[in-house]
Amino acid sequence: MCNIYLVDDDQDVLDSLSWMLGGLGLSTLSYLDAEQFLTAVDLNKPGVAILDIQMPNMDGLALLNHLKQCNSPLSVIMLTGHGTISMAVQAIQNGALDFIEKPVDGDKLSQLLQVAKLQTLESFNRQDHAKEVKQRVASLTPREHEVMLHVLEGKLNKVIAAELKIAQRTIELHRQKVLLKMQVGNATELANLMSNFL
Amino acid sequence: MNRLLLALILLLTALPSHAKDPIRVGILSFATPEAVSQRWKPTFDRVGSEIDQRFTLLALTPVELQEHVAEQKLDFIISNALTSVTLKKDYGASSLLTLLPLHSSEPDGAVGSAIITRAETEINELDDLTKYTLVSSDRKAFGGFQIIAGELALAGINPFLDLKGINFVGFPQNKLLDLVESGKADVAILPGCVFESALKDGSLKEGVLKVVLQRTQKNYNCLVSSELYPSYTFSKLGLTDHKLATQVVRSLLSIESNDKEAQLGRYQYWSAPVNDSHVFRLLKTLNEWPFVTNWALLLKGSIPWVIGCFILLLLGYLHHLRVKRLVVLRTLALSAEIELHQLTQKSLYEQQKQFYKAQRILLTGEMASGIAHELNQPLAGIRYLAQGCLYRLTPEQEELNTALNKAIKQVDRAQSTIKRFRQFCQQPSVYESCDLVMLIDETLNLMSPELKRMQIVPELTLANVSTVADISLLQQVLVNLIRNSLDAMEDTPNPALAITLCEQNQQAIISVQDNGIGLSDLALSRLFFPFETSKQNGLGLGMVICKRIIEEHRGNIVATSLNNEHAQGLNITLSLPIKTHGPTIDRNRKAAHV
Repeated sequence: MCNIYLVDDDQDVLDSLSWMLGGLGLSTLSYLDAEQFLTAVDLNKPGVAILDIQMPNMDGLALLNHLKQCNSPLSVIMLTGHGTISMAVQAIQNGALDFIEKPVDGDKLSQLLQVAKLQTLESFNRQDHAKEVKQRVASLTPREHEVMLHVLEGKLNKVIAAELKIAQRTIELHRQKVLLKMQVGNATELANLMSNFL
Repeated sequence: MNRLLLALILLLTALPSHAKDPIRVGILSFATPEAVSQRWKPTFDRVGSEIDQRFTLLALTPVELQEHVAEQKLDFIISNALTSVTLKKDYGASSLLTLLPLHSSEPDGAVGSAIITRAETEINELDDLTKYTLVSSDRKAFGGFQIIAGELALAGINPFLDLKGINFVGFPQNKLLDLVESGKADVAILPGCVFESALKDGSLKEGVLKVVLQRTQKNYNCLVSSELYPSYTFSKLGLTDHKLATQVVRSLLSIESNDKEAQLGRYQYWSAPVNDSHVFRLLKTLNEWPFVTNWALLLKGSIPWVIGCFILLLLGYLHHLRVKRLVVLRTLALSAEIELHQLTQKSLYEQQKQFYKAQRILLTGEMASGIAHELNQPLAGIRYLAQGCLYRLTPEQEELNTALNKAIKQVDRAQSTIKRFRQFCQQPSVYESCDLVMLIDETLNLMSPELKRMQIVPELTLANVSTVADISLLQQVLVNLIRNSLDAMEDTPNPALAITLCEQNQQAIISVQDNGIGLSDLALSRLFFPFETSKQNGLGLGMVICKRIIEEHRGNIVATSLNNEHAQGLNITLSLPIKTHGPTIDRNRKAAHV
């Protein structure tokens, strides 16, 4: 459920890396250049991309940059024949998980892939969760949204009622509706949920 | 007191003696000084006593006379008519009196010459003389040779060339008569009256000799063969006091023919000066004929010319010296120029050497890097495959496990060797402030032979931009780009190379554009890959090096193909961040390659 993508302009290297990872029980998808990769892969799904740096047209660093701009949840591991410190810095700054030299040891890569998988899922989930919360917030009526903001400020029902000049009972109803729509049990859980969102 | 008196006496005696300097009279003569003194001393003693003066008489030859006159050593002169007109002409001597000698009755016709030969010799005209040998006393003697020479000249005869022979035998004059008589000479030229005197004193017999070409002269008692001329002239020189001259003339005029002085002096009396125009004519005739050239006078006359010639020669010599000097200076300047040229050549050569050295090092580094990459790929493949096999082994396949692990170790060993090899070949870069305009100029200078060969004048548009960079590395980039352009334009009919330099957003932008064959899209996409080349002998590292260098400077290099239906060619644009910090040496380049 979490794809591993290999991008390298050398078919033989691509094949052998794929074969090694196959030995570890990891299935991979191979692409010879950035264009192939971009046309074939859904950048919004979780996954791990192992990119070569030296490639015709769009090189590994450019592709990494593109992924970052697309806000993709993909985890990226840079793999290069000969890199420089400046390349490594650039890669890490652009969100690569690691910058390693070819050939990478299978065990090391396997560990790195575990980390990468967790990272991409987390990143994907975070994006997913944020989307969900956004939907829930969107389902609130304007009045409910207003009430929720007051609740998040930690005010008591009667204080909110006084400020909004509505009956305390109505406030209680709105509050129950908010908790229900936001799928939380109490105000503390609501605060937790919204702390990542607001 | 005594001493003072003595001095006074000496002074008093000295003054009159000074006032009474003797008056110097030059007398032209061929005779001995004693004979001259004997003839003229009585006359001047008388004059001296009359006017209370003392006279010094100097017997002088024609040459000496002229010298004395020129040096103003004389007050008065007694000379023959010809010499006196010569001095009149050349030194402004003025004739005061003319002598009337014995045998004459007219002072303007007192001297003539006689041509004397043996009685049997037939001479009817001057031309006949050319057949004979002549003798005379002296070439400067007036009565005698010079008068006859004038006659000969008028007849068109050169006495020195046209006669059979002519000898000057000196004095006494009677000697000449003997020579003719004895037959040693054919013709004698003598002053008039010598012949008659000889007959009279018996030294010559009647009828042995005769005077030929006789001319009848009234008022002259001797036979002559020529015109008659005045006798001695008494002249005063320009500086002589005219009062003194008047006194002397008065005294001389007072001498009469009966007086003892006149008899001793062999003259009748002194007369007023006579018309000397025919003497001038004779002088002119003789002067026109070089055989009587007054060499001394000519020499003096020619002195200005000689000086002029000398000055001209001197000027010529100075000019020659100046030209020589100029040649030396020019030679020096030229050799300095040549030296400068050689220095420039040498520095260009050094620059080129440096450049090629840097290029070699860069190429080695890049080759190492390229080979490393090329080897690294299959090694990586082998390692992946080996490790893939390891993962697929079952626990029973222990032996294979060991072998595969060993294979992996071998791969790692090979890789570490490659890595060390690559590190060894890399050079640290040296960052310093760099004037990009100067860099471009120097690079073009470096490539001038190639540009000249292809007759390309690059079109430059350069703004003033400086940054901090490794100059030799950037030069490598520019040389590579320009050389690629030149190679691409090898067969282009009108090759054009444009280089621009400008500043944009803190970036120095350098672009090199040509109208050569350009690149295909495939070649363009793989332009910066190692060992990719379109050149027959190319290594395919030039552009890789360029990219590597530009990236190391944190810049960017972009190639744009201009190939379309209108144009073709390639544009390569570099952008380099403009840095202003001081020069630092980046030693990290080696380590920067992971």
